[in-house]
Amino acid sequence: MNKLLNRPLKAFTLYALLVLACSIPVYYFIVDYIWRHELDEYNEIVKSRIESGLNKLSLDKDEWAKTIALWNKTQPGTKIEKSLLTESRPDSIYTIMRQKQSENEEELERFRGLSTYIKVQGDLYHLTIEINVEEAHETVFAIAAVTMLFFIILLAGFVVLNRRISTQIWKPFQSTLDRLEAFDLNSQNNIDLEKSDIQEFEQLNQALYQLIAKNISTFRQQKEFTENASHELQTPLAVLKSKIDLLMQNESLTENQSELIASLNIPLSRVSRINKNLLLLAKIENHQFAEGELINMTELVNQNLDFLEEHLLAKNNKVEIEICENCLITANKSLVEILLVNLLLNAIRHNHENGTIRIKLTKRELTISNTGVEALNKETLFKRFITSSTSTPSSGLGLAIVQEIAQRYKWKVDYQFVNQFHQFSIQF
Amino acid sequence: MKILIIEDEKELAYNISVYLSDENYLCEFAETFQQALEKIEVYHYDCILLDLMLPGGDGLKILEELKKQDKQDGVIIISAKDSLQDKIAGLQIGADDYLAKPFHLSELAARIYSVIRRKQFGNSNIIKLHELQIDLLAKTVLVNNEPVMLTKKEFDLLLLFIGNKNRVISKSALAENLSGDIADMLDNHDFVYAHIKNMKKKLVDAGYQNYLKTIYGTGYKWEA
Repeated sequence: MNKLLNRPLKAFTLYALLVLACSIPVYYFIVDYIWRHELDEYNEIVKSRIESGLNKLSLDKDEWAKTIALWNKTQPGTKIEKSLLTESRPDSIYTIMRQKQSENEEELERFRGLSTYIKVQGDLYHLTIEINVEEAHETVFAIAAVTMLFFIILLAGFVVLNRRISTQIWKPFQSTLDRLEAFDLNSQNNIDLEKSDIQEFEQLNQALYQLIAKNISTFRQQKEFTENASHELQTPLAVLKSKIDLLMQNESLTENQSELIASLNIPLSRVSRINKNLLLLAKIENHQFAEGELINMTELVNQNLDFLEEHLLAKNNKVEIEICENCLITANKSLVEILLVNLLLNAIRHNHENGTIRIKLTKRELTISNTGVEALNKETLFKRFITSSTSTPSSGLGLAIVQEIAQRYKWKVDYQFVNQFHQFSIQF
Repeated sequence: MKILIIEDEKELAYNISVYLSDENYLCEFAETFQQALEKIEVYHYDCILLDLMLPGGDGLKILEELKKQDKQDGVIIISAKDSLQDKIAGLQIGADDYLAKPFHLSELAARIYSVIRRKQFGNSNIIKLHELQIDLLAKTVLVNNEPVMLTKKEFDLLLLFIGNKNRVISKSALAENLSGDIADMLDNHDFVYAHIKNMKKKLVDAGYQNYLKTIYGTGYKWEA
């Protein structure tokens, strides 16, 4: 994932590169143009100086020819020739590549030339003036090198500025982000965001405050609803239960009627259980259980095994127990007991005839397994109201409660299907 | 025996009173916090059934008031709240028992029976019933003066029956009495039969005449 500020940095860098790259030919053309223009002017000046200089001399024909020959020898940049033309022609300007003469290297040099005609004492002479110009590729190379240097300076500047901006200007944003990450809706604590003098961040904070306040109140309402609804349901359930108890005392009931009435108790108990479990979940979520105390897990497991012994041994179950001595954990005792009983009852309920139940407790882990036929869906197993078995009625909340309790203490709950065993484990 | 039912749900209060009326109990009602306060101030009751969430105030305040006035009435809290903290709070202030809603009337009747016995007989709390003699404190049972060794669960079952003489107790109520809160999570209630069978056998072997009748498909009834 890209960091926010790296995106514009990349774009800026690419743009700067593009602009600077485009500037290279532009600079070249401008520099070259100025260069040539200046040289042309210079050539013109040289021409007029030669013309006036030669015209000042008063020489005869022989001396004249000698002077010109000498001139041509000593002044390599210029060449004077007697013109055969009678009429002077317009000047012409040219650029030419020529072999370097002085050194051995076979290097082409660029020259800027002026071909013109001058009149010296009535005679027309053809004058060519040539001056060395920097070669095109050398110019381009120099410009490109300078441009690259500036580009590197620019890039370094971008990176440094970017880093400084991201640490300074984005600081409130980062702090908001950190606090949002740490925010836990369950804790019901309002969030406290760092004040910022940047309008957008302050706007963001305000929007977040509103959103969070609304969330908290919705969440609270929802939880209060569950809690109140569960409480309110207990009383009509109590009325219903007492009515059934009363009805059962009626002596004129037939056997059939009695059985029907007695069977009402089963779904009634189930409703009551679902209700209690919902309430329990709401309470765990609301952190309504006191914080931890030191619990002797060994004792707790043994107590519950004693209590459930007859149920564990029903259905001809075999029970294999392996429990460490004096294992201690810190948690709320009621919650741990609920977790334990839920897991044990699950193992009992979902075991089949002549099955095996294994209970293993170590310092770090509690594992409860029972024989099973096929693996359960791990994804939905711990979700509320998703029962994986159709054979026995349940509240559909037992494992959700186990998970909720484990989550509270950051314990890891795991389910595995190993060697025809449903294996539930809690890592403390 | 006078019993005060402090409960805002009229139907429930009525059902309780009907169930208890057979057993020589006289029930009075209080539906609000204020009514309850007025009644406890003026009258003495053998047992008070106290709901905690009342219109007009918290039921625990009534309990505190009773203790302040140094009244000896037995108190059983009947509440929709069933967390350990609620129970501990209630018992610490001085309630004699705590029963979470929804409950079976048979369970309530047995608890009322125990509370009243405890209040009335104090240290020598022995129930005599035909050839049966039950010491509530020592938790021992004699049949024709011969001790019978009952397990704790069997002893509790026996008390449940004694507290509900001549009334049908459903299997569901027996299961709840035996395994408490988790009864509804057990889909097999066969263990109820096992315990009753064992209890009955021990008593019969010691010479008690069978008063416990099986009501087919429904539950059991102690006929006395």
